[in-house]
Amino acid sequence: MMMAVAELKKVTKAYGNKIVVDAVNLQIREGEILALLGPNGSGKTTILKILAFIENPTGGEVKFQGEKVNFKNTEKVRLQSTLVFQKTTLFGTSVYNNIAYGLKMRKVPKETRDREVKKALEIVKLEGFEKRNARKLSGGEQQRVAIARALVLKTKLLLLDEPTANLDPKNAGILEEVIDTVNRENKTAIVMATHNMFQAKKLPHRIALMDEGKITEIGAPAEVFGKLSKNLARFAAVDNTFTGTAKATASGTSKVDIGNNVQIEVTAQRQGATAVFINPQDIIVSKTAVESSARNVFKGKITEIADLDSLVKLKVDVGKPFTVQITKRSFSEMGLCLNAEVFITFKASSVQVL
Amino acid sequence: MADVLGGIVEAFQLIVTGDPEILGIVSRSLLFSGTAVILAILWGTPLAMLIAMKEFRGKTLLKTYFSTLIGLPTVVLGLILFLIFSRGGPLGFLGLLYTPAAIIIGQAILVTPILVSIGVSAIESVDPEIMSLSKTLGASESQAQVAVLKEAASGIILSDIASFNRAIGELGVVLLVGGNIAGFGIRTDVLTTAISRNVQIGEIGLAVALGILLVLILFTINIIIVVLRKANYIVELAKAPYFRLKRYRETK
Amino acid sequence: MQAWQKLLIVAALATIIVVAGTLVYFNYFTKRRLFISTTTSLYDTGLLDLIETEYEATHNVDLNILAVGTGIAIQHAQNGDADVVLVHSPSVEKTFLEEGYGENRKIIAYNFFTIIGPEDDPAGIEGKTITDALDGIVTYGDSLADQAGQTQIWVSRGDNSGTHSKEKSLWSKAGYDYESITEEPWYASAGQGMGATLNIANEKEAYCLADIGTYLKYYSDGTISLPALILEEESLLNVYSVMAVSPTVVANQSIHEKISFDDAMEFIEYLVSPETQQLITNYGKDTYGQSLFTGAVQPLIDDSPQPLVSWIQDYAFFDGSECPPQYRNGYADLYT
Repeated sequence: MMMAVAELKKVTKAYGNKIVVDAVNLQIREGEILALLGPNGSGKTTILKILAFIENPTGGEVKFQGEKVNFKNTEKVRLQSTLVFQKTTLFGTSVYNNIAYGLKMRKVPKETRDREVKKALEIVKLEGFEKRNARKLSGGEQQRVAIARALVLKTKLLLLDEPTANLDPKNAGILEEVIDTVNRENKTAIVMATHNMFQAKKLPHRIALMDEGKITEIGAPAEVFGKLSKNLARFAAVDNTFTGTAKATASGTSKVDIGNNVQIEVTAQRQGATAVFINPQDIIVSKTAVESSARNVFKGKITEIADLDSLVKLKVDVGKPFTVQITKRSFSEMGLCLNAEVFITFKASSVQVL
Repeated sequence: MADVLGGIVEAFQLIVTGDPEILGIVSRSLLFSGTAVILAILWGTPLAMLIAMKEFRGKTLLKTYFSTLIGLPTVVLGLILFLIFSRGGPLGFLGLLYTPAAIIIGQAILVTPILVSIGVSAIESVDPEIMSLSKTLGASESQAQVAVLKEAASGIILSDIASFNRAIGELGVVLLVGGNIAGFGIRTDVLTTAISRNVQIGEIGLAVALGILLVLILFTINIIIVVLRKANYIVELAKAPYFRLKRYRETK
Repeated sequence: MQAWQKLLIVAALATIIVVAGTLVYFNYFTKRRLFISTTTSLYDTGLLDLIETEYEATHNVDLNILAVGTGIAIQHAQNGDADVVLVHSPSVEKTFLEEGYGENRKIIAYNFFTIIGPEDDPAGIEGKTITDALDGIVTYGDSLADQAGQTQIWVSRGDNSGTHSKEKSLWSKAGYDYESITEEPWYASAGQGMGATLNIANEKEAYCLADIGTYLKYYSDGTISLPALILEEESLLNVYSVMAVSPTVVANQSIHEKISFDDAMEFIEYLVSPETQQLITNYGKDTYGQSLFTGAVQPLIDDSPQPLVSWIQDYAFFDGSECPPQYRNGYADLYT
């Protein structure tokens, strides 16, 4: 058995009467990527904050590299574990000063600092950004600076809270690549919270499913997703993930009934309880029904509009809520607004069956 | 009425020729008020941090108290301090009355409410995540507090300027605890007291000259701060076309 | 330790450095400071600047002149914040001596208040006694058609200063109730200092009581054009005296010990010396063509000129002496 970087034993955290983390046992192994997967409010962020030693647990015990952590004085252990927040938070200064901050705290000499910052910027593909004002960068660039700022510290444990939420696919892709590289090259143990199933399936070595402050399932992705169907209903909050009953069709595809009269056609042949996921980028939005080869067309209303960098994220309610991403340009050209009636279209082949 | 135009002409002559009397008064004003503001920053900043970063009972009351004190008439504070520093008063044994130290401490007390009030709201408006962020990047509690303070810098600089403006422009404290001593030995007369006296004795030219200088000093200091704050922005502005070009090439 | 705690320690240290630095500087690196509390009207003539220059050239003391207003001048001495008091208000001085705050009073100089007014003198007061002059002003004022206060012929300081008190006493001496005078339509109250009051009188072509020092300064540089109409009358007499603050008053002897009662007395002896008296008498002659003050020491010794000496004695002596024996403390040669 591999040695654990960190270990939570019956860790509980409560704010007043509200228990957000409920007697969680969790081991983080050396060199692994562990994903905490669960809906908002399931306690992922709190676990990350406890592992970063910036939040004190109400009960239980935390071990770091075999030693029990004294939460009264975390100044030393904090140097070994760092967290990248979900909401990108940068100091109001240059990119260089942001990334060098942790190194300065560690009293790293200036020449080394300069070199490390340069390297970190290369990794996140922001070469030459040192002197730019960090807060004037685009959202995606800001999040990459935040990641670089954590990477440069070369901590034993790297904690990422929804690293790609609110990022356009290009930036999200860069980040996923970075996470993978860092883990492989530095053997850094990484714990990331996510509610993006697609991401959870791709990157991590292990997945822990979280729900209402508890870890309900933990194991390799294939194993967890195999068992997932019965629990997946609880994860309906995750974007574009639906559970339903599949029925094979005559044409060799299957139709998954996800409720409210919404039937999704998928290419895989399935029968019975199934979970499906549709990548938001794969969905086409139009004001009228388009004639195409795509098998899935639904009519619905826009219920939410969120501004990402170059993209706009829409929630379209077609009986079930779908998340779609379109470019800002097409958003304004189509003149979309809240409550507008739109059609969403996607191919059967872009539906992933879990 | 006195010849105002003549006064202004005389004022410019005095300023241009660098009249030693005027130079002395100006440098005393700058020295006393500058030191007072530095002192007030030193004790006002930790107070602001304490009020903004800690939770305790009576916090709102304390904040209200400081914002109320901003409007205290300087002559009232001057009188209170005079009675305290007076040889017959509780701190009389120090013998500080009519010394620069009395003026400096008096003005520092005068501007502390400005520094604390604006400082507290500047610190409170900083993203609360900055504290956790600094800590997770390896800062100690104390270093994290400094990081929050840095984020509040622009608001705090604003309070520093406001304090200096108030200190150098006030009359009550410097008159009552400083004594407005002119002459040849230790002097405690500054711009405001000298203006007031010269108006009284009909030296309109000198009074106008000092008034112009007071305004010029305030103006210069405010300009310097604005330029310093803008400097960063101007550098950014100058660089922008270069980065746009670079990004354009990259996309190709 | 938290950042604010560190900062507070730095702040405390900085405060201590400022205070300690000042104390060390004033105790070891400067001349002893002798504080002289005086009224602004005396200070504003510039005489004290001259005296300071002369005195500091021959004495190892730094004269610090506090000119912050009559009331606070006395307050200073009572708190032990001044060593010498230099004022021109016999009644206040008397109380000051009686209450044990002042000692060794010496009358050092005198001059006269003056009534100034328009060149053509419509009330016809020039050369008259003050009582007749005030009568004339009232008659002239009453003769004006009531224009709801459009024409004001008398401007008062109206600021409770020494000069204002003098004006009140002049009106009552002439048999008028000052309160009802203030309600006359031709009466204006400036509520400001002497300079501002003179400017207002000049604009309005009105009569006004002025101290001779400020008046001559404004008149000689052309700021105002009103001539002085009444000069040198007994009731316009203005007498300046000096007193040492009693050493028993000073609240904190330890701090005060560097400046002694003897330093204060040395300054008083300097003021009454023939050379200084001459300096006072000559002051302003070059600039204004006449003196602003006249030294009073020699006239009081000579008992001449008369009736001036008797005017001074009537106005500013207590129990037939400038300083009754019970208020003297050593320095007997001052009163021989």
